[in-house]
Amino acid sequence: MAEFSATVYQNEFLPEGGTDVNAIVTITCTNAGAAGRTGSGDAGEIIIVDTSGSMGRTRMEAAKQAADAALDQIADGTWFAVVAGTHQAYLAYPPVRSGPGMVVMDANHRFQAHQAVQQFRADGGTAMGQWLTLAGRLFESVGGPNGGGLTKRHAILLTDGENHNERPDQLSAAIASVVGRFQCDCRGVGVDWQVAEVRRIAQALLGTVDIVGEPSELRAEFAGLMQASMARGIAAADLRVWTPQGAQLLFVRQVSPSVEDLTARRTEVNALTGAYPTGSWGDESRDYHVAVRLPAKTLGQEQLAARVQLAVGPDVVAQSLVKAKWSDDEGLTTRINPEVAHYTGQTELADAIQEGLAAKASGDEATATTRLGRAVQLAAATQNAEATTRLRKVVDIDDPETGTVRLRRDVEKADEMALDTASTKTTRIRS
Amino acid sequence: MTETAPDPGASAPAPAGTPLTCPVCGAAVEPGQAFCESCGSALASSGVTNAVDAGLTAVEQDAPIELTRPTSTAGPAPAEVLVPASRCLACGSEVGQDGYCTVCGTKAPIPRDHYVEQPASWVAAVCDRGVKHHRNEDATAIDAQQEPGSRAVLVVCDGVSTSTDSDIASLAAARRARDVLVALRPTGLPNPASRAGAVADALESAVAQANEAVLAATPEGGPDAAACTFAAAVVEGDLVVFGNVGDSRVYWLPDPGGSGMGAEPTELSLDDSMAQARIAMGVDRVTAENGPQAHAITKWLGRDAPDIVPRTGSVLLGHPGWVLVCSDGLWNYCSEAAGLGELVTSLSGATASPLELGEALVRWANGQGGRDNVSVALARH
Repeated sequence: MAEFSATVYQNEFLPEGGTDVNAIVTITCTNAGAAGRTGSGDAGEIIIVDTSGSMGRTRMEAAKQAADAALDQIADGTWFAVVAGTHQAYLAYPPVRSGPGMVVMDANHRFQAHQAVQQFRADGGTAMGQWLTLAGRLFESVGGPNGGGLTKRHAILLTDGENHNERPDQLSAAIASVVGRFQCDCRGVGVDWQVAEVRRIAQALLGTVDIVGEPSELRAEFAGLMQASMARGIAAADLRVWTPQGAQLLFVRQVSPSVEDLTARRTEVNALTGAYPTGSWGDESRDYHVAVRLPAKTLGQEQLAARVQLAVGPDVVAQSLVKAKWSDDEGLTTRINPEVAHYTGQTELADAIQEGLAAKASGDEATATTRLGRAVQLAAATQNAEATTRLRKVVDIDDPETGTVRLRRDVEKADEMALDTASTKTTRIRS
Repeated sequence: MTETAPDPGASAPAPAGTPLTCPVCGAAVEPGQAFCESCGSALASSGVTNAVDAGLTAVEQDAPIELTRPTSTAGPAPAEVLVPASRCLACGSEVGQDGYCTVCGTKAPIPRDHYVEQPASWVAAVCDRGVKHHRNEDATAIDAQQEPGSRAVLVVCDGVSTSTDSDIASLAAARRARDVLVALRPTGLPNPASRAGAVADALESAVAQANEAVLAATPEGGPDAAACTFAAAVVEGDLVVFGNVGDSRVYWLPDPGGSGMGAEPTELSLDDSMAQARIAMGVDRVTAENGPQAHAITKWLGRDAPDIVPRTGSVLLGHPGWVLVCSDGLWNYCSEAAGLGELVTSLSGATASPLELGEALVRWANGQGGRDNVSVALARH
């Protein structure tokens, strides 16, 4: 049986007239079990591989190996399908024309799926919206023994290029049509794909985005992604945030393992409670930053600023309380909570990197230098060594404390993209 | 009187190593603690005498007049449990399992910080921590017969905040006094004057017993002995007998529009305070009550009490209205009887529920700043 716990980190003391309450809530899941094996419904996996002409022979062979590696990680009993994507989307496996577009993994299907993957030929354009739409339809086509369908739906998407054969609004519409219907981890191989474009898909579909610089690394990457997905026994959970009447919920962010602004993903549970989808859970911890603005109360008053809960289906499985106490004791009210400060810095770091790189791409070197300098400063301050290492490949650092940097002229495109995709990855606070 | 109490050693000690909790509110308590620090409930399993039990027997033995003993007060009934608020004090919505309002998030007070009593439809009390104080050192204890206008006992005690255990002292005193006043009910005295005399005697006994309860409930030694005030009213039909020690008060607040004797709001009790002493010397009330040491009381209950004989009196009520016993947490904001009468009239509106009026008065006092604990006990006449 999966167990959840929630812990809150905050300074609950507000000065006279103080209104804003910030808190970090860590939610931890243990004993999550394996996907599709917890009695709460079946799991489904779809592997989506870019087979456009740009893949070429080397990347196509690497992609086939990666798809094979992912297939090998799908546990028997899991529903699955393989999609080949160009300017259209093809169901590569199972070879069906009607009925469910997915099959239950066993030795025979695994063998035949490997055979199907071997037939991939690099040819045609790129229309990721179409791939996503097909994946959505495939997940929907599985009725399940009781007509309930799949409770856990996850896809891996591999691309190598820009979305040439669709307009941005077509991609947006396709993404919107599958939001909430499955989760999707996205990987780009090479340097010819657009980080922002693929990030948009991953963020909307509660997945991750990363660059795989070398085709040879694809195999391990896909095996790892599928292995992680198989270990997520909790198909879906919602973060629920209650705030008191008259309060303003400023934002809800996931801040670890990566920064994701959840604020706009709210669906209403009731007038005072919003639900934010968090996707599937394995044995892991995630941190959330909640900020609430309250009408100030008189000194000595205490109130609840938020109830932060995790709900699996209708059941609240963990709750923590964010409080506010008004005090005239400056020793209490001026205390800065280290967790809140740390993640505030990490969030700004992600913004600074993305804005800096965007400015650099558009030729605005002044802004790029300022923002990447700020990123260097924040990475140092929050002891994010990985970010510092990635930043060093894009800028020469004169002084990390003041954020004085110079843009490097000899930047590898892959390094810049790696900095971009990893910008939202955060480190945990070191106490 | 405490010698009639069971030997403390006879109580079964709690098994060593077991964490003790209050049976009422669940808060952790120390072995040997007589009362719960959180809600003030008496801890039966502690090694300390249960003050209320021990006292009642003694009252019967000392009873100077004929007694009847209503079955409802035959010992510390389950009704003694302080009832936590189920509705939010700020907005009236439901309080969640986590102790905070489900709508406005206001923290629900622990029962000792806000409790209500309503033994009959026409009698109620509300006892509240107020806004500024960290602890509720006021206490109320009331009793009433079901028939409206029949018999009610209203007791308010206000713990002196300079001592550490005043919250325990005030609750012990109020409850003991209430029990004594319920037990010492004169019968066979048709003449109101005789009855008034008997009830006044009962008030003296009640204060003496309440003082014993304070001594029994709070530790000896230390520079700041627990202390509290006392104010009580016993309503028997048209007769109201009242008494006080310190600056908690008894008011008669008739409904407006009447005429003749008892048609005007009246402060029945007389404070034992520096302010009252100055008023007696001719200083006007506003100046006296806001002057230096105005709140210093000259009489109180407790180990170091100089004099615990209450000032008593009685009146016959000829009009409909409210008998109010309150602590200074209320009257600080409205001392004059006339003003208090107007306030009660405006707050009671069309409803004549003593509980609603009591809550409204407490809210009002807190709205004025809530500088002190607020207690109100009301009987509808």
